[in-house]
Amino acid sequence: MVGRNKLSTALTYVYLTILAIVSVFPLIWIALSSIKSSGEMANYPLSFFPKEVTFEYYTRVLNDLSFTVNIKNSLLVSFSATVITIVVSSLGAYGIVRFFPKAGKKMTKVLITTYMFPPILLAVPYSIIIVSIGLVNTWTGLVITYLSFSIPYAIWMLIGFFQTVPIEIEEAAKVDGAGKMRTFLQVALPVVAPGMVATAIYTFINTWNEFLFALLLINSSEKMPISVALYSLTGSEILDWGEMMAASMIVILPSIIFFMIIQNKIAGGLSDGSVK
Amino acid sequence: MEKKLRNFNITGMLFILPAILIVILLLIYPIFSSIYFSLTTKNLIRPFYDFVWFENFKFVLTNPDFYKAFVNSIKWTFFSIVGQLFVGFSAALALNRIPRFTGIYRTLLIIPWAFPAIVIAFSWKYILNDVYGFLPNLLTQLGITSSNINFLANPDLVFIVVVLINIWFGAPLFMVNILSALKTIPSEQYEAAQMDGASPLQVFWHITIRHVRVVIGLLLVLRTIWIFNNFDILYLITGGGPSDNTTTLPIFAYKVGWGMKQLGVASAITVILLLFLLGICFLYFKLLDKWERDDR
Repeated sequence: MVGRNKLSTALTYVYLTILAIVSVFPLIWIALSSIKSSGEMANYPLSFFPKEVTFEYYTRVLNDLSFTVNIKNSLLVSFSATVITIVVSSLGAYGIVRFFPKAGKKMTKVLITTYMFPPILLAVPYSIIIVSIGLVNTWTGLVITYLSFSIPYAIWMLIGFFQTVPIEIEEAAKVDGAGKMRTFLQVALPVVAPGMVATAIYTFINTWNEFLFALLLINSSEKMPISVALYSLTGSEILDWGEMMAASMIVILPSIIFFMIIQNKIAGGLSDGSVK
Repeated sequence: MEKKLRNFNITGMLFILPAILIVILLLIYPIFSSIYFSLTTKNLIRPFYDFVWFENFKFVLTNPDFYKAFVNSIKWTFFSIVGQLFVGFSAALALNRIPRFTGIYRTLLIIPWAFPAIVIAFSWKYILNDVYGFLPNLLTQLGITSSNINFLANPDLVFIVVVLINIWFGAPLFMVNILSALKTIPSEQYEAAQMDGASPLQVFWHITIRHVRVVIGLLLVLRTIWIFNNFDILYLITGGGPSDNTTTLPIFAYKVGWGMKQLGVASAITVILLLFLLGICFLYFKLLDKWERDDR
């Protein structure tokens, strides 16, 4: 019995190791390819590790192709969208949990339903409306459309976190004479701060990774976020594989780092019952 | 007392007002405007358009390209979701039973989830490239293939390949959520079952599955919608090709709306897409409600 257990544990490790290799391989391959010399990339048979390390792709991507501008655009758009999302959503989520707990259940259902709206469905009216109010090719226009998917999701996540705030400590604050807004800011917010950080990071990643709305609403290359700027150069023979890998590395790093930070927080959502 | 109550609700309203406004302006209103445009000849460039009732729907529903995209969408969603569930669930079970290194494996397995669509596309296109790609070269070197395969240009292989990439990307989300549900199962239940002499299969079915099925059900709903609606992964890897073999409904709508500039027709396609999703979700939620009632 013990022997059989040991064997099945060993097999479990083998299975997980295979999965881990497949999961990580693209990232490792991007990283290695981004520092290989161009001669080595076209060599047969392919070498796994670079024989000599070069950073020429990075300098070319950042300086000659001026992707620094696009990275700044992405940072600006994602940061603005995240700040607005967190302010609006924490007010909303707190309001639902504290003042409308019954109606809140229905509102959460409405929020889940909005998750069903295909982005491509919203894309038609957005591209018409954004043009008609003169916000095409502006970051403001892009940030507005990003709120459409980030706010419902953030409220949903935050409702779960606010439900963990014990009502007793808020009542204690009320006895001490704190108003609604002060109770919210000084009592409830500090309790959910870790959850808010996780929600903010998740929002940031999602907006940083967004592609469709940026593709449709921004068409001048100096205004483009990084993902669309990269896409606009594919197939044009301007980017070679080494540069694409260096650019990929730059785009993916914030995502990976942030994911590692919040990986324990994004798990809870569904099983904590915030959805039901 | 009455005044206090009213005050209470006004403050409450102020808290949720910005969120409600944004949902109305950015989600509810655009949906209705989409439905309106689906009944018109709205064009991306021309300013004037006519109201044509259901002409666009008639046009779409008699178009063989629409049905091809529809079938592609269903295939893409079904095989991706089944694969993601299988890999994610098995990985969660595996992580739940190993005594050591759980954290490291979990962190490594979660990495694909962090990939932006553009990087999914760049990295896999490079790995699968028929000249410089790691995989075609490896297969040829090992003697499995006589010459390098061009996976993404081969109409027979391309669908399987993009589905596998999507499974690679989406399995971690299943894994993480199922794992955290597995952790909530009280260990006494397993001990009790063992004392009663239940077989491993019985334990798995009556305890494990029963505890995680609501979470799995919710994941299936949310991810079915997400994959069905997904535009960027597939578009960035294949552009819908070769010969429209990977054109799903969102890509089809994009091609009609922005490629052919017919926003009215594109709206009709996306409205059909939404109606289909609403139908699917209705069925899913019925099943979930039943499971939740059983759990009580």
